[in-house]
Amino acid sequence: MTHRPYTPWLFLLPGLAVCLMFTIFPFLNMIVLAFTDASALGGGQFTGADNFVRMAQDPKFWVAARNSLLYMVCVVPPLVLLPLLIAVLAQKIVPGIGIFRTAFFTPVIASAVVVGLIWTWLLDSRGLVNSVVEALGGTRIPFLTDSTLLLISSMVVTVWRGLGYYMVIYLAALANVPKDLHEAAMVDGAGPVRRFWSVTVPALRPTMVLIAALSAVNGFRVFSEIYLLSGGTGGPGGASTTMVMLIQSVGRGLTGEVGYASALSFVLFVILLGLLLITLKLNRREDQL
Amino acid sequence: MKRRTFLAGLAALPITSSVAGCGLSSNTASNSSASGQVTGEITFQTWSLKPKYTDYVNGVIDAFQKQHQGTAVKWVDQPADGYLAKVMADASAGSLPDVINVPPDLSFPLARAGQLVNLDESLKDAKPEYLENAWQAFEIPGKGGCYGFPWYLNTGPIFYNKALFQQAGLDPDKPPTNFKELEQQALQLAQKKVAMLGQTPSIADFGLYGVKLFENDKFTFNEPKGVEFVETYKRMYDAGALIPEALTQNYTGAGAKFMAQQTALSPGSAYDLGKFKTDAPSLYANIGITKPITNTGSANMFLHGVSVPKSSKNQATALAFGRFVTNAENQVKFAKLASIFPSTSKGGDDPYFTTEDGSDEARVRVAAAKQLKTAVNYTPVQFSDQMREALLQQLADAMLGKKSPKQALDDAVNECNRLLK
Repeated sequence: MTHRPYTPWLFLLPGLAVCLMFTIFPFLNMIVLAFTDASALGGGQFTGADNFVRMAQDPKFWVAARNSLLYMVCVVPPLVLLPLLIAVLAQKIVPGIGIFRTAFFTPVIASAVVVGLIWTWLLDSRGLVNSVVEALGGTRIPFLTDSTLLLISSMVVTVWRGLGYYMVIYLAALANVPKDLHEAAMVDGAGPVRRFWSVTVPALRPTMVLIAALSAVNGFRVFSEIYLLSGGTGGPGGASTTMVMLIQSVGRGLTGEVGYASALSFVLFVILLGLLLITLKLNRREDQL
Repeated sequence: MKRRTFLAGLAALPITSSVAGCGLSSNTASNSSASGQVTGEITFQTWSLKPKYTDYVNGVIDAFQKQHQGTAVKWVDQPADGYLAKVMADASAGSLPDVINVPPDLSFPLARAGQLVNLDESLKDAKPEYLENAWQAFEIPGKGGCYGFPWYLNTGPIFYNKALFQQAGLDPDKPPTNFKELEQQALQLAQKKVAMLGQTPSIADFGLYGVKLFENDKFTFNEPKGVEFVETYKRMYDAGALIPEALTQNYTGAGAKFMAQQTALSPGSAYDLGKFKTDAPSLYANIGITKPITNTGSANMFLHGVSVPKSSKNQATALAFGRFVTNAENQVKFAKLASIFPSTSKGGDDPYFTTEDGSDEARVRVAAAKQLKTAVNYTPVQFSDQMREALLQQLADAMLGKKSPKQALDDAVNECNRLLK
């Protein structure tokens, strides 16, 4: 079987064209715009590093960066550990396990807007959760009207939404853990807990690193959850705004400051790239061990 | 110069995926003239009128096409969600539809960017056909020129929940008539754990209080009267007269809280009354209706219009259609269907808007129609979405005590003035 040298490129062409048009060009355009004062309706002079200087002095940027960082730090551990525990349980072949797996995967396929609305109704000052709290003699908890609790509520929604997705990744990885290792450990007298820590976890370490990376990037880029729970406002005084929300807020509409929004996007890109590089390095080190 | 050409070239590429995909594009002005022949095809874009008003809009289009043989109007309706994004994408690409439904705050940035036809220049005789206050709403303050045919208007009374008033020991037949009474009654309601209001004041509320909003090309709502107004809200917030969600709530969200009977008072319109009847019958059974609270003597007014972009290749037809859609006859028909009001100078004279039939709907309609003659669109056209957000956030900080009302308003005004540039 021989083929002409350009044949593979012909197969790649449609995908490459889409990638160039919808990813590479917008990305390059974003970098260029980051150094201008462009608006949604034209204009746009080169302003050098002005947008970045403004960013350094903009309290909103620091609030958003802090919140995104906090978000990432708080959601990564539960998103690495909880789906693993659920996957270990879901892996068992017992009657009705399909329902269990489906239940955990449903939030993944549910629309973000629907999920946001349901949680808003649950956590509202007169919502279901607060009604139960009041019925039990407690006072209403300001889940959505206190900036800290709003962030925590959003994190809970993010973790809840992510469980099913990461569970599926773990299930695939668990299927590849050699059974004879478990059998050998059992022969040596290891119980289920010991086998989990000494066999399952080491075998899944690369998957855990991958999930940590994915959830860290998604955590830092969080938008839907906080946007929907705060009604698009970023919480009282905008104190719960995250990076992507800030970009959306600055750049949206006919009066949007597209130049500054692009500069914010560029900084977000650099941070995420840094995160991925760190993960890559960690992964390589794991491989070498 | 070379750099800028490069920028423009990049921006002209078909990009869709990010906010960075806009800006820097050049406007493509058309050569067509406003005084040309009324013929050819145009596109008419409306804001969320399908499917409820499909027959009405099609009827208007048919009538226009019959009156102007050789014309064809293609109607495109965009849902409310994403309308702004659609207009933005079209505007940056220089491909806005020939006739476009926009409120004043959306027409302003387009007009300022030189994308809309100035009606004062193109149709010098059109102005007297419309209410003066409605025409003014589409002018660029201080610079002249009108950039949209006023279309439908709305204003309305204050609705209040008589049952909640009674529960707090207030006379359900004596709702607040001024801001002082509003505060007094709100504090009384709060003692019984009933919230009076569902949101912090909007820029229009500052206008109703008599605060100077915009002067000499600058926002000025941090003047002493503005501070006094925020201090009133702060006292009410501290007492629990505003629901906790008020700090992040917009008009729609606050309306939903009133419908859920979580707040005792809310501004509204004839349209809302119909909604209460069908969606919240227990509220409707206890609904009280009173005049809007204002220190200026003028109620607030919301309006929509239709504008014609300069990029239209059939400007004459687009202008003729814009004028036709917004003429007295078509507006009155539409108003009767949709619980709105015509913006034409004669439209309000129709008996439908002047005669009561004993129903609540007619009472609200007649009162609102009367109110509209002196109503003002308090929201300055320059007040953008970003400015609304800045005000909301600063007011939240003031309510939470993170800033004094004066400081919060100073910060809001500074941010608005920065965004104005």
